[in-house]
Amino acid sequence: MGVRAPRAPVLRRLWRVREASTLAILLLEIVFFGWYLWPEYGTYHPFLNSANALLVLKYSSIYGIAAIGAAIVIISGGIDLSPGAVIALASVVTGGLFVEGGWGLGPSVVAGLLVGVASGLLVSLLVIAVQLPPFIATLGAMGIVRGVGFVVTEGRYYDLSRLLPRAWHPFGIPLDWWPPTVMITLALVFHVAMHKLQWGRAVYATGGNETAALFSGISLPRIKTSVYLISAVLAAVSGVVLALVQGQGKADLAMGYELDIIASAVVGGASLSGGRGSVIGAVLGALIFGVLRNALAQIPGATFYDRMIVGMVVIVIVVMDQILVKRGA
Amino acid sequence: MKRLVVAVAAVLIGLAVACGGEAPNTGTKKYRFAVIPKALDLPVFDYARKGAERAAKELGNVEVIWRGPETGDQLKQKEILEAFITQRVDGIAISCLNGDFLTEAINRAVDSGIPVVTWDADAPNSKRLAFYGVDDKTGGRIMAEEAVKLLNGKGTVALMTSMGATNLQRRLDGVLEVLAKYPDIKIVETFDVKEDTVKAAELIATGTNRYPNLGAWISVGGWPVFTRNALVPVPKSTFVVSFDTIQPAPQLLKEGRVQILIGQKYFGWGIEPVKMLADIKAGKMPPAKVIDSGVDVVRQDNVDAYIEAFRKLEEGK
Repeated sequence: MGVRAPRAPVLRRLWRVREASTLAILLLEIVFFGWYLWPEYGTYHPFLNSANALLVLKYSSIYGIAAIGAAIVIISGGIDLSPGAVIALASVVTGGLFVEGGWGLGPSVVAGLLVGVASGLLVSLLVIAVQLPPFIATLGAMGIVRGVGFVVTEGRYYDLSRLLPRAWHPFGIPLDWWPPTVMITLALVFHVAMHKLQWGRAVYATGGNETAALFSGISLPRIKTSVYLISAVLAAVSGVVLALVQGQGKADLAMGYELDIIASAVVGGASLSGGRGSVIGAVLGALIFGVLRNALAQIPGATFYDRMIVGMVVIVIVVMDQILVKRGA
Repeated sequence: MKRLVVAVAAVLIGLAVACGGEAPNTGTKKYRFAVIPKALDLPVFDYARKGAERAAKELGNVEVIWRGPETGDQLKQKEILEAFITQRVDGIAISCLNGDFLTEAINRAVDSGIPVVTWDADAPNSKRLAFYGVDDKTGGRIMAEEAVKLLNGKGTVALMTSMGATNLQRRLDGVLEVLAKYPDIKIVETFDVKEDTVKAAELIATGTNRYPNLGAWISVGGWPVFTRNALVPVPKSTFVVSFDTIQPAPQLLKEGRVQILIGQKYFGWGIEPVKMLADIKAGKMPPAKVIDSGVDVVRQDNVDAYIEAFRKLEEGK
């Protein structure tokens, strides 16, 4: 009959927030590398400086934007293997129309985004009408989309940077700030959509238990079409941003990134069995990998270890997440 | 929560140990030069790494950070280059997967006071201070001329390349330029092996089935000669001319599976750029913007001498 606190302590309540553990891991990672890479001479810290932070954000955004879509697909109980290919083809279409087609920048960007729409519709058709497992449907789409990129370019590339203004500030924001801005904005928008809209709850319900979702009146075809469409369009956004910021459209860009993108979503708390996950977590997951890529590059002799380290990190984080979920249950 | 923190700390400590566990050392100032290959998974670059590390050791006041993308991923290579710029290393030597793609970043490095030299594959439109390597177009021309000699000016040829890399494209341009002068030589196909030795072996097998009377294979990269078995399906009547001379290539040449090999200065790729950067730091600029390393043309008659010279280089003599 002791005195019971009416509510859990603040820290513990905070911990129950889905994204808290991912954020904690990211912060720990930054603290660790900040300590490990403390400069031996001079005052300039090679890791903890604003230019480096922007660099990590800029490159992580390529994965992060697509990982938002990947997380949504995974939450719905599916999987998408095509984002890497869609990123490349979107960059090729935007670059090709802008550089060789003589199109304006706006229409070229829209055409690049339409690559996502087309690929998303193809996957939805295969998953819903043909009843293919998402793994196979998106594997096929990955090959087709990547192949179209090679057919269009025949190994060449489109150099957008030649035609884009130097020191370009679209809408007053420096070019390098655009990828993180887009990523964070989209993450917030989809976070709200997943939690406040009926659609979002239906996505969680579909992934949690498809039969139950069906009996509760959720239109599975509509939900599935929407998630694959969103995933492919977000990958296309990433490809268009990549083409504009890096100044190139090329068919072999983002080769194999689908696995990094899925890993970001999973590290961010998405469960491959569906029904669980977070779009903000996926972005944090992309940042965890971005910091690793950046910091490991600064350690002499770490070159050949980093694949292994990244693999270990994925497993450790997911195992920790599982323990956490079990204890919370 | 506590357990979680302990677990994370354990992983990070493990990570530190895996990275060599070297605590930040204090002592005299060393120059930190970043040396960036195109990819970590190509054997030729391993010799460049040995060369770079050896040069650093000889110079004494230089530390080499060898870092590249695992596979030929140009975006990852640019990320690595940009990370070295924000880290303010003392010099950068890079073999560019795509020179134009890296030009802006290289210029930014040079503008911020970090000297950049390129090796193996150049970024000719950038502000890099010098390039050390083969003139690729010349290399391609030499290959084609050797093939023409083998074929006595007539026959069919299959080409092998990997699409997307600027230097390979230039070698291919050199090959095509020479072959265009010989109307009796017909190019049946240009195969894209995607920088993959396994894919190269597969393409050689299928290509041989399709063109059993093929006159010659010309490969602008070393994929057919990086593995022992890729050339097994090729009949004796078909000649093979390939770039690159690292083992087992010379052995294959001795066995008669390949007739001409074009060798590059693999150790030089590492040694020369590191020395150049050290000179630049000491106030001495490179003698020219483009330093042609030249190529070694290896045939049946000089292969033994080549193997011996290579062995000496490998042992550091």
